[in-house]
Amino acid sequence: MNTLERLWDRLPEWTRSIRFRYTLLYSAVLFGLAAVVLAAIYLILLMALRATPVSSGRGTFCMHGDCITVITFREAERLVNSEILGKLRYYSLGALGVLFVSSLGVGWVVAGRVLAPVGRITSVARDIQATDMSRRIQLPGPEDELKQLADTFDAMLARLDAAFDAQRQFVADASHELRNPLAIIRTNVDVALADPDASPDDLRQAIAVVKRAGDRMTLLVDDLLALARRQEPTLEHEPVDLGAAVAEASDDFMVPAETRDIVLDRAIAPGVVVTGDREALKRVVANLLDNAVRLAPAGSRIRLATGSEGNRAWIAVADEGPGISPDDQAHVFDRFWRADKARARADGGTGLGLAIVRQIVEGHGGEVRLHSKVGVGSSFVVWLPITRPAIDGGQR
Amino acid sequence: MRVLVVEDEADLADAVARGLRREGYAVDVAYDGDEALDKAAVNAYDLVCLDLNLPGIDGIEVVRRIRANGDAEPPRVLMLTARDRTADRVIGLDEGADDYLVKPFDFDELKARVRALLRRDAGRSGALLQVGDIELDSARHEARRVGQPLALTPKEFALLHYFMSRAGQVLSQEDLLEHVWDEHADPFTNTVRVTVMTLRRKLADAGEGQPIETVVGRGYRLREEP
Repeated sequence: MNTLERLWDRLPEWTRSIRFRYTLLYSAVLFGLAAVVLAAIYLILLMALRATPVSSGRGTFCMHGDCITVITFREAERLVNSEILGKLRYYSLGALGVLFVSSLGVGWVVAGRVLAPVGRITSVARDIQATDMSRRIQLPGPEDELKQLADTFDAMLARLDAAFDAQRQFVADASHELRNPLAIIRTNVDVALADPDASPDDLRQAIAVVKRAGDRMTLLVDDLLALARRQEPTLEHEPVDLGAAVAEASDDFMVPAETRDIVLDRAIAPGVVVTGDREALKRVVANLLDNAVRLAPAGSRIRLATGSEGNRAWIAVADEGPGISPDDQAHVFDRFWRADKARARADGGTGLGLAIVRQIVEGHGGEVRLHSKVGVGSSFVVWLPITRPAIDGGQR
Repeated sequence: MRVLVVEDEADLADAVARGLRREGYAVDVAYDGDEALDKAAVNAYDLVCLDLNLPGIDGIEVVRRIRANGDAEPPRVLMLTARDRTADRVIGLDEGADDYLVKPFDFDELKARVRALLRRDAGRSGALLQVGDIELDSARHEARRVGQPLALTPKEFALLHYFMSRAGQVLSQEDLLEHVWDEHADPFTNTVRVTVMTLRRKLADAGEGQPIETVVGRGYRLREEP
């Protein structure tokens, strides 16, 4: 085996190509077929025609001094047949030789033509890998197997490109969101320190501003880490009593709701069990309630309900807040998207809450839907599958 | 010199305004693009410190509209941005910003850039201004006449700075009010006249003659030659 491998390694580069192997195969098959056909014809003729070379004369007939060899008619026939078979053998072998050489040539050319698009795909792919991901192969020609391969490749590149773009955008957004509180801290500290006559009150005020910015960064970093962690397949797989988890998560919002004069109605159906990550599901409820409590007007009502329908469980949070316009509804689950940038930021929203909700829910194989009407209110409905296939080891 | 700070983060805008006011600038604050354009339409600013990422009308659009106003002396624009990608800065500069600073910035650097941008107005290349026997160092916040330090209040310093960057020009009380005082100054008080008077007295105490002369009915002028 080792000697074979070494021998293989010693062959020149071009002998290792598909083109070479294809040529050999093509040539061998063609040669073999032709050989079989010719051999069959030869054997059939051999059997059909009884041919024996005439070794010696049967007798001699002399007349007027001239002597000729005398054979029987049957013997003459055999002699002719033997001659013909001999010629046939000769020309057949010659034709096989010519066929072998020409099949090698034809095979090489045909294989080259067939494989040319593969070479093109390879070189463009190599280029793309080295330069920029926005390029595509765009193989011209009919809708054949290789074109399908190239198109599949293009589609994969497009998805990769989009994923990279999204990632870049996320990093840019995250750094933007982190730089603002950093700038607040730095500038306030610089200005306070540079003032030799700063009163204790001035300093206290500067510290309060710094603390506010620090709190904001803490929330933001928590949310960013939550998002990053949920991107990994780290969600737990355990039976979760949905009603209990939702009740637990919403307990934290009773007091904030009350202080804002908002009624939080809970209608939680018992006995709904889903498979998933208890803490993550609690976070879903907490993020939805956090938005509702922050944005709903004082004196309004927030309704939180859970239940099941068929093999799906649902959690719904409905508020009587300002509502979301149809144009904005497409964006609410985007990271860092805010309906009213200045206000939401001042209220302590990081712009990541709903993105986290969507990510967790989709990680559980569920979906989240928004129904909203401006001036009436918004409701978010989370659907979760009750039974998940046990073999599903990772997350989507 | 009059500065407009445009920034939607109130905590940042207020700190920048406080720091710049201590440097003697007359500073107004706008918290969004609309407010910035309103103020820029009413007041003649020498410099606008502009956050690129604003709710409503964004910073790029604000620069574009300020430039489109076609003022004879459009304000310098220093843009503040939390985006450090080159593309974002290129857009801002292309649209007419004069300089940029990436958040978070060192406040000393912000002051230096503000000084540098305002110097370009005066067509001078250093932090040091000299007119006749008066010297002014805007970086160190020091002014001298015949080498003798002048003890000036921030407002007097700002007023002298404005006179020196427009030496030889006649400046009306309205000009001075617009460029040295912020929007909270009451135009019906004689605050400009009083400050000019105290500045003139301090200048006269330090050297020979009075460099700031009154042009009757029109305003004041800083003489270029003593």
